[in-house]
Amino acid sequence: MQDFLELIVGASATGCIYGLVALSFLLMTRPTGVINFAVGEWAMVGAFAGFLFLSEWEWPYPLGVAAIVLVLLATGWATERIAVRPLVERGAPELAPILALLGMLVIFRESISLWFGPDPHPVPYPFEFARVEIGPLFGASLAGSNQSFVIIASTLVIFFLAWWFFERTLWGKCFEAVAINRRGAALMGINLSRVTSLSFAAGAVVAGLGGLLVAPNISAHYLMGIPLAIQGFTALVVGGPGRVEGALLGGLLLAFAEQLTVRYAPVPPGYAFGVPLILLIVFLLVRPTGLLKAREARV
Amino acid sequence: MTQAGFAFARLLACAAAAVAFAAPAAAQETIKIGVITDRVGVAKPYAEPVTDGLVFAAKEINAKGGVLGRKIELLIEDDQGKPDVSATLARKLVDAGVVFIQSLSLTTATQQAQTVSLETKTPHMTPSNSGDTLTTQIQNPYFWQTGPLGSIQIATLMSYARARNYKKVAVITDNSDLGQLIAKFFRGGLEKAGIEVVTEEVVPRGATSAEPQMQKIRAAKPEALFMAGVMTPENVLVLKAYRQLGLKTPIFASYNLSVPQYMTAGKGFLNGLAFVDAYDPDKPEIRKFTAAYKKDTGKEAYNLHGYGYDGMYLMADAIRRAGSTDKEKIREAMQATRNFPAIMGAKGMTYTFPEGKRSGFDPQGMVVRIYEKDKQGKAVHVGAK
Repeated sequence: MQDFLELIVGASATGCIYGLVALSFLLMTRPTGVINFAVGEWAMVGAFAGFLFLSEWEWPYPLGVAAIVLVLLATGWATERIAVRPLVERGAPELAPILALLGMLVIFRESISLWFGPDPHPVPYPFEFARVEIGPLFGASLAGSNQSFVIIASTLVIFFLAWWFFERTLWGKCFEAVAINRRGAALMGINLSRVTSLSFAAGAVVAGLGGLLVAPNISAHYLMGIPLAIQGFTALVVGGPGRVEGALLGGLLLAFAEQLTVRYAPVPPGYAFGVPLILLIVFLLVRPTGLLKAREARV
Repeated sequence: MTQAGFAFARLLACAAAAVAFAAPAAAQETIKIGVITDRVGVAKPYAEPVTDGLVFAAKEINAKGGVLGRKIELLIEDDQGKPDVSATLARKLVDAGVVFIQSLSLTTATQQAQTVSLETKTPHMTPSNSGDTLTTQIQNPYFWQTGPLGSIQIATLMSYARARNYKKVAVITDNSDLGQLIAKFFRGGLEKAGIEVVTEEVVPRGATSAEPQMQKIRAAKPEALFMAGVMTPENVLVLKAYRQLGLKTPIFASYNLSVPQYMTAGKGFLNGLAFVDAYDPDKPEIRKFTAAYKKDTGKEAYNLHGYGYDGMYLMADAIRRAGSTDKEKIREAMQATRNFPAIMGAKGMTYTFPEGKRSGFDPQGMVVRIYEKDKQGKAVHVGAK
């Protein structure tokens, strides 16, 4: 029982990270239709920014996070400016920005590896590494590292902000409008390029914060981007790219499937990692819109 | 032209001729050595310092006059950690006229490059790879390996653990090629000694947590945990989960845990961990090497640099004994290497290629060290007896 309760905390934390990456994908895919595989590298930028501000320069944590958010906003905006806007303005085919962003992925990764070197760099925990227990519960206790709880709490806040943005603000409605019908939205006076810039900037912040949250555990290293991008993308497909909540649901489902399989399934250890990819295939075949369908347009 | 003019012109011509004759003596041909390393791929954290050590050794050798009166010229190529690229680069190097290839990238890349060294009969070695199968899977008389084999690592660890009489242990590794290979040899060594491996777990590249694997290990109640993984972030996840789950099982780790990055990436999680290493910081040769390296480059050297350094010196010695850059003569001289002094390994260790074998690291040459707080402690055990 204790193992199971501990797994719930651990898998939730992992699921939250996947969910954040999925949200980042979603923030860009919804309004623009562009799938940005460089989100993993944005998470890496967030992690390395964490190393610089928090480990190297030892800024106080909240101030460091604020600075990192600014760096990420700039990164997202710059990515869109360099890899997407010139192509869209010249009427390039839809695949073009996706490929250009794959190129950005390589540029980000190699720049970081040249600047910082190939070794993993430490990113500090916001709170001293410790075990937190919540219980008793069914004779055991919900336990995990305090970083897991920090990740879960932060993710809930970020998702709440994202949900609130889409549901309750005018800008959020603009995003939805662009997602539903690009031309129609433009005709209604919505500034398409501003929406695109904002979506990339926001996507970078979300992905980067995901990287910052997971980095104290895995260290900031130049190869951390691609696995995160793959997991995030799978989470998005599973949960459904239509709704913000879908990203989180997909992430949690994926993480639980992975970790419960590793812990309890009587399969040889190497095979447990096929689970997320099998899930991806199953969902693409059976339910390609994901678990949560996009909300119907309200007339 | 006047008489004086002609005389002057003749003088100039003589001077020019003299210079022309003198020039070739200065521009004597270098000995070309090919180096295949990984500058951008997954092996970069390990390949880079090995390469730096090798380059430093070449510089030292050239400063003392080179080999057979000729300077060493390094042709360095980047295989990105990809086996097929490695083979292509090996061919490129052979075509460029190298007489020896040093493979400093992944074990799998070195394996693939061997197909070229075998076909072109070019002497080829790895001073750092530890995959046991490199000299056994392909019968390539032109290839040698002086890295510390996985089998030597487990034998040394077990010799250290022998006093504790373990009956049931667990193994944890990652899903990289080398991690799987080392785990295989660990498992083989343990089972041969009659020790039961109650569970073997795998942490995949890119994992964000090792908790389910460590939970499974905790449930299996082993008396010791052997770490065979070779990827730093994933190993650190194992150590964090170990602490997080309150485990107290003694840990014995492969030589990967000797890499200094752990002291920053795994800070606070290392105390008490025993690891096998090919580096004794108290060895006088090591002290001399690290001082010289620091003086020349301003940077700290650590164990990985030593592999490259030894590899270059071993190779230079073979060429010297061969008396020429004929590949066949170099091959014979290399195979005949006996008791070549090493800066790596335990005190007094030397490299020898036993009859018919091409792996030269002394089976008794590894040491076991323990992390004290976050620092790598002294050698507490030597050899595999």
